[in-house]
Amino acid sequence: MSDLKPSGRLPLLFFGMLSLLGGVLAGLARLGWEVPAPAAQAAGLHGPLMISAFFGTVISLERAVAIGHGWAYLAPLAAGAGGLALLAGAPLIVGQTLGCLAAFGLVAASGVAMRRQFAIYTGILTLAAGCWLIGNLIWISSGEISAAVPWWLLFLVLTIAGERLELTRFLPTPPAAQKIFIAIVGLLLVSATITVNPLFAAGFFALALWLLRYDIARRNVASDRLTRFIAICLLSGYVWLVIAGLLGMAGAFTPGHIWRDAALHSIGLGFVFAMVFGHAPIIFPAVTRIKIPYHPVLYLPLVLLHLTLALRVFGGLTNNFALRQHASLFNGLVLVVFIATMVLLVRSNTKRGTR
Amino acid sequence: MMVPHRPPETQIAMTHPAPDEERVRTLLRQVVDPEVGANIVDLGLVYRIDIAPGQVGIAMTMTSPACPMGEMIIDDAYAELDRILPDECQPEIRIVWEPSWNPTMMSEQCRLRLGWSEPPADQQ
Repeated sequence: MSDLKPSGRLPLLFFGMLSLLGGVLAGLARLGWEVPAPAAQAAGLHGPLMISAFFGTVISLERAVAIGHGWAYLAPLAAGAGGLALLAGAPLIVGQTLGCLAAFGLVAASGVAMRRQFAIYTGILTLAAGCWLIGNLIWISSGEISAAVPWWLLFLVLTIAGERLELTRFLPTPPAAQKIFIAIVGLLLVSATITVNPLFAAGFFALALWLLRYDIARRNVASDRLTRFIAICLLSGYVWLVIAGLLGMAGAFTPGHIWRDAALHSIGLGFVFAMVFGHAPIIFPAVTRIKIPYHPVLYLPLVLLHLTLALRVFGGLTNNFALRQHASLFNGLVLVVFIATMVLLVRSNTKRGTR
Repeated sequence: MMVPHRPPETQIAMTHPAPDEERVRTLLRQVVDPEVGANIVDLGLVYRIDIAPGQVGIAMTMTSPACPMGEMIIDDAYAELDRILPDECQPEIRIVWEPSWNPTMMSEQCRLRLGWSEPPADQQ
């Protein structure tokens, strides 16, 4: 089955962004902000909307483009449809099932990549997709989103870490480093399975230190323009993963803990979105063939992300609800600034791939 | 993707009829992988350049089959080639996965820049 043209991929991305919009508004609703009705009724679904629906769309779309098989695009379609079902107030099982189908699609697509080049990192990417599927199945069977959250976090974190592991091949990375990486992943999987949160957090802490030590970003900071920008995004994200690990080891991942919001968003916003901001200038063109030229304005959303997240985390640590509530609104606005920056840069350079 | 600069000698090259392997390699050095901060030639991703009358065939690989950047890097490579090669010369780029890329394929300059002090053993 042949690949989907870029013009066919963009709608899939926009479809997934509906879940981003709905998911962010749902999150704001949870903190007491008034939002449009579909998002308000989905306030409790912020996690699945952001991770399974939105990031599920983005990551499975990337994987489909990477392997070039048409069937793989069913995964982002299902992920986006799942998000829409949740926002439309359809019976929960509809959105949950679509999420499972999407995750299964990503596992299959990742398996193709793994067969093409069997290596630890392609294995990690397939494992990450498996974590997405496990999270969705746990949600269906237990009815508890909080039980699925550790697995959804692993989906995101291992996808990113797997891709970073791949890049360490360019450096004289000692063989022991890969073994340590595998051990950390093992720790994360075991602790998620037996639900020991502080151990799970220790895994994130260790992974963050590993990334700070071995990632090619350390070297690329000395480069310039886009390469340097990506490196700074990554390293700043790793710092947030360290913070999440520390908070988690202090018990923050326990449902109901006053630091839980801070810990989860240190990962979701600080680690994951810093990664998104850094990679958008290369992934968006890779998927859509629409170029995003480098410009220092790219640093603006990144700086705002860190500032507003710091406020939110501080609000969480000091149990200051008003601060946390307002900072979360600013977090949402940062995403708007980010999208606006991308649109601005695309319009300033309308060159497209010709083949 | 970084916008490649155009050195003056390539302006003169536009009037020169036939490409050779070295010129094609020089053109492809303008195509950079921003994740690594190195160009595709120095990374050892360009496996073969075949010059025939009216045709330039390039076989190259990507470092990761899970990476969606393949098409964009190919686009950039075509853009470089189309800019300089004469109109009657058609470039054709094929992505191949064999042999698998490994760090020993990087140029010496690239390896030194990335911190290798001696030739890398295959890490896989």
